[in-house]
Amino acid sequence: MEAILTSGLEQGLLYCFMVLGVFITFRVLDFPDLTVDGSLPLGAAVTAALIAGGHSPLLATGAGVVAGLGAGVVTGLLHIVLKSGESDATNYGPKLLAGILTMTALYTVNLRVMGRSNTPLLNVETLFEKLAAALSIAMTNWETIAALAVLAVLVKYALDWFLHTEFGLCLQATGDNEQMIRALGTNTDFTRVIGLSLANGLVALSGSLVAQQQGFADVGMGIGTIVAGLAGVIMGEVLFGMRSISWVLFSVIGGSIVYRLLIAVSLRLGIAPTDLKLLTAALVVIALAVPTVRRKVVRA
Amino acid sequence: MSAAALELKGLRKVFFPGTANQVVALERIDLTVPQGQFVSIIGSNGSGKSTLLNATAGTFPLSAGSVELDGRDVSKLAEHVRSRCIGRVFQDPRAGTAPSMTIEENLAIALMRSRRSGLRRGVTKQRRALMCEQLGPLRMGLEERLGAEVNKLSGGQRQALSLIMATVAEPRLLLLDEHTAALDPKVAATIMELTGVIVAEKRLTTLMVTHNMELALRWGDRLIMMHGGRIVLDLDATQKKTLGVNDLIAKFHEVAGEAFAVDRLLLD
Repeated sequence: MEAILTSGLEQGLLYCFMVLGVFITFRVLDFPDLTVDGSLPLGAAVTAALIAGGHSPLLATGAGVVAGLGAGVVTGLLHIVLKSGESDATNYGPKLLAGILTMTALYTVNLRVMGRSNTPLLNVETLFEKLAAALSIAMTNWETIAALAVLAVLVKYALDWFLHTEFGLCLQATGDNEQMIRALGTNTDFTRVIGLSLANGLVALSGSLVAQQQGFADVGMGIGTIVAGLAGVIMGEVLFGMRSISWVLFSVIGGSIVYRLLIAVSLRLGIAPTDLKLLTAALVVIALAVPTVRRKVVRA
Repeated sequence: MSAAALELKGLRKVFFPGTANQVVALERIDLTVPQGQFVSIIGSNGSGKSTLLNATAGTFPLSAGSVELDGRDVSKLAEHVRSRCIGRVFQDPRAGTAPSMTIEENLAIALMRSRRSGLRRGVTKQRRALMCEQLGPLRMGLEERLGAEVNKLSGGQRQALSLIMATVAEPRLLLLDEHTAALDPKVAATIMELTGVIVAEKRLTTLMVTHNMELALRWGDRLIMMHGGRIVLDLDATQKKTLGVNDLIAKFHEVAGEAFAVDRLLLD
């Protein structure tokens, strides 16, 4: 029982930065960004390659995040080219294609960064071990969870602050009503690039932390990230509400934890790990269908 | 010398050039608007009146001609750059505001229009006070609901807010694109009164496109009629005062030589 709880909490907190990133693209920017399937392993690959190369885990984690920020910029720039002047905000074609192109390109980048498909992190110091040494404590599950929770809260408040700055408001408005914010003098191409960059930086942070926690980076670890992220976002919104953007940032972190708890329970119930992706996809479909079905039932 | 606030020189816009769908939306438009003038623009569907506003705002590149604001050629500037000194209100009340953001967040964005947005807090105490000052005269109670999401407001309230947002940073030019057409008559009248007050108070140079001839005759100190992408009639305040709706229709027949039947229907 405790094993399920700790595993769910730990995984949920490790991946909550990725879910926050997906929230920023999907919900705030109204940009279904598929880059995340590539930027999660990118964060992991850069961090693992640097740590394996003898660099400090702090530097390696920072570099992983920076790589993610860059991946987001690439998607943003591709989108500007692909939409070619057309400013119809409801046209998702160029947005999807931009993400798919970056994601595909990142597969090669990730292999190049690691020089192979899998980089183990055995007998090297990761961020978690460095933290344990610095605080001179033993890093058991609960200590890891506490450390990740602190980081999650810090990131949450930083995002909250950022989204309420002048620039942050323009970024929110870019996803909410692009025509209006352009008519008010904002370069929406720029706000979108920054938003995508930030989101993929967060996704890469998750990738970097996951690699250090599980002890390896793998080129295939990003498959299905977008769906898992979406599951976290939707479950958070449905379970914890979306009163305001400050609140929903917490909801989304909660959603990430609930989702990973469900995964932990499913695994305990004997569901094969290889079946999880189908299960997650089904979960997202159900969660998306619930409001529609509920409306129909109420009306009938 | 009261310099021209807006000068359109030889404006021409062709949509889908070189294709079977080619449309000449604007043709040889020359228009000089002095500082503080309120111009009403009427015309039938497809006459080019909305295209004229969009060309001025920079929504699309021109095929020929230039747009000058305060003597500066802005034709090559991107829409969002021009927007720093041009306020706009659209027909759809949903177009002028960000629905899932709050009233104060929307207004904060409008207040920082003229300069680059930074990493300072968007909604400050100082700005809130300024917002209340702007919203109070509407007598819609919006100043009490600064934290409410805009999608909770009625169409009229949203359009009033759009109007405040378009004018709060005192733009050099105000473009109104049938901004009362989607509202019910009573609300439309309120918004139009409000527009008149704001434009007069801030002495805004204004272009207002409308379908409604009565509105065009009643408001503004100049009336322009468009047809087939050209300006076919240009009346100053004195000429305008002596005209009724029927005179206007007769005038239209005279210049355009075409039936105006469809637009008659739109009068009420």
